[in-house]
Amino acid sequence: MSAGRNLAAAALVLGAAAPFAGSPHAASRATLDIEALAAAIAAGEDHVSALQLAQWIRDRKPGLRVIDVRSPAEFAGFAIPTAENIPIEALTRAEFAAGDTVVLYSEGGAHAGQAWVLLKAKGVARAYFIAGGLADWRDEVLSPVLPADASPAAQAAFRPIAELSLYFGGAPVAGPAGSAATQMRPSSAGAELAAIRRRGC
Amino acid sequence: MTPPRPYANPYVAGVGLGLVVLACFLITGHGIGASGAFAHVATGIVAGLAPAVAAKNSYFASYLSDGLPWTAWMVLEIAGVIAGGAASALLARRFRPGIVAGPSLKVGPRLAFAFGGGAVMGLGAVLARGCTSGQALSGGALLSVGSWTFMAAVFIAGYAVAPLSRRLWR
Amino acid sequence: MSAIVLPLVIGAAFGWTLERAGLGDARKLAGQFYLQDFTVLKVIMSAILTAMLGGFWLGRLGIIDLSAFYVPETFLAAQAVGGLVFGVGFVLCGLCPGTSCVAAASGKGDGLAAVAGLLTGVLATGLAMPVLEPLYTATALGTFTLPQLLHVSYGVVVGGVTLMALAMFLGVERLERRA
Repeated sequence: MSAGRNLAAAALVLGAAAPFAGSPHAASRATLDIEALAAAIAAGEDHVSALQLAQWIRDRKPGLRVIDVRSPAEFAGFAIPTAENIPIEALTRAEFAAGDTVVLYSEGGAHAGQAWVLLKAKGVARAYFIAGGLADWRDEVLSPVLPADASPAAQAAFRPIAELSLYFGGAPVAGPAGSAATQMRPSSAGAELAAIRRRGC
Repeated sequence: MTPPRPYANPYVAGVGLGLVVLACFLITGHGIGASGAFAHVATGIVAGLAPAVAAKNSYFASYLSDGLPWTAWMVLEIAGVIAGGAASALLARRFRPGIVAGPSLKVGPRLAFAFGGGAVMGLGAVLARGCTSGQALSGGALLSVGSWTFMAAVFIAGYAVAPLSRRLWR
Repeated sequence: MSAIVLPLVIGAAFGWTLERAGLGDARKLAGQFYLQDFTVLKVIMSAILTAMLGGFWLGRLGIIDLSAFYVPETFLAAQAVGGLVFGVGFVLCGLCPGTSCVAAASGKGDGLAAVAGLLTGVLATGLAMPVLEPLYTATALGTFTLPQLLHVSYGVVVGGVTLMALAMFLGVERLERRA
């Protein structure tokens, strides 16, 4: 049975070497350009606001993929419309097209920020996350605030935000006099390098 | 009449089978299967005879959402299995109409057990989402826990029932 | 066009290999469970080793993307029960879904009966799905592999499975020489 013996020898060699060979999954061996990543983070090019995402969803931005990195149970409870559920441990195996704009979110933003690093390591060109997570979505999109004593200019600036909120089934809230209105923060996804106030991370 | 050819070395045949599974993964991204073809055909039958029943049944509805059952990937694959098996049998002079059974089993009971055993396997394959080809071979090669569990369970049950079914085979 | 030709060719290679190994013969298959004929074990384990080692090394060498291979999801209870049921049916029938087609293709009447029985069983089980649903969907663990279960690296499991299979082959060869 020399055929069997040869095959067994080959299997033995290949099998015995396997534990020392590292991971067979390409994604496990991805490399990070940490200089480039650090620069992107400092420039605020790593995240977008919840309102920006809402605008992209409503305007059906081509190639937009909204990824919820929480567990399936949390996703079933509530999710941003058009979101796909890819839990963070499955993210490395997910496939993204070259022209895709991927926006990640999690409950508070921490996991989404980590997922952003994973996607950059995978080579996704346009990846962003919602810095404040679903909390930002609830605050900015579902319940945007307009203080009771807002100036006419502020009211005019708020109108598109109110429309966006209603589109997603939210309801603008009248805030106490003197409080700050919810604002469409300048988009960090692009050439503008504005210092963005971040909540939680 | 020239005698039939001897069977191939099982290790060599196994490696060949493994290469077919690997090639299937490389080309299609999924493994081979067999029970899936039966599920597609069953779906086609139910949908043809009682479309309302098929639509309301979660199992058949999920197969229907994959498209036309008769041209499903796995159905075409099984058609290939039949063709390949026939070709090999003919060329090896092993194509001989007849019944294969234990020495003391008559034709009638043999066919009944083949049918009944097949029906029982049908239940098992549906629950397990596959059979020896789809779960044990394909899922087993990719180290799926469910596939290895299925394989272990098959062998455990087989060895447990075998002593009780001696009359079928010995 | 290739959507039709490809599965046919893959299936043909599958069926050809099964028949060459003699797995279209119910007595040969059943013989595994009487410790008389170990062809089933040899073929299955050799096939698993080949596909597993092939996938591992091609992935490690970057020739293929192993993550692109679809891993069947784990439904632990359903697959354990399903396996037990399948094993019972297998000893009664002597053929599995793939080999029953090969047997039928070789002109065997018991192959045809098995195919008919399988179709009936699948159909009946599908109709009974409302009753079976709790078991069918129980313990859904998603994509769950042995490395994840055992908390060891993929390569370690590959090595372990290889050694286990080779040990099985050695044991079986010894049993056969004594017979």
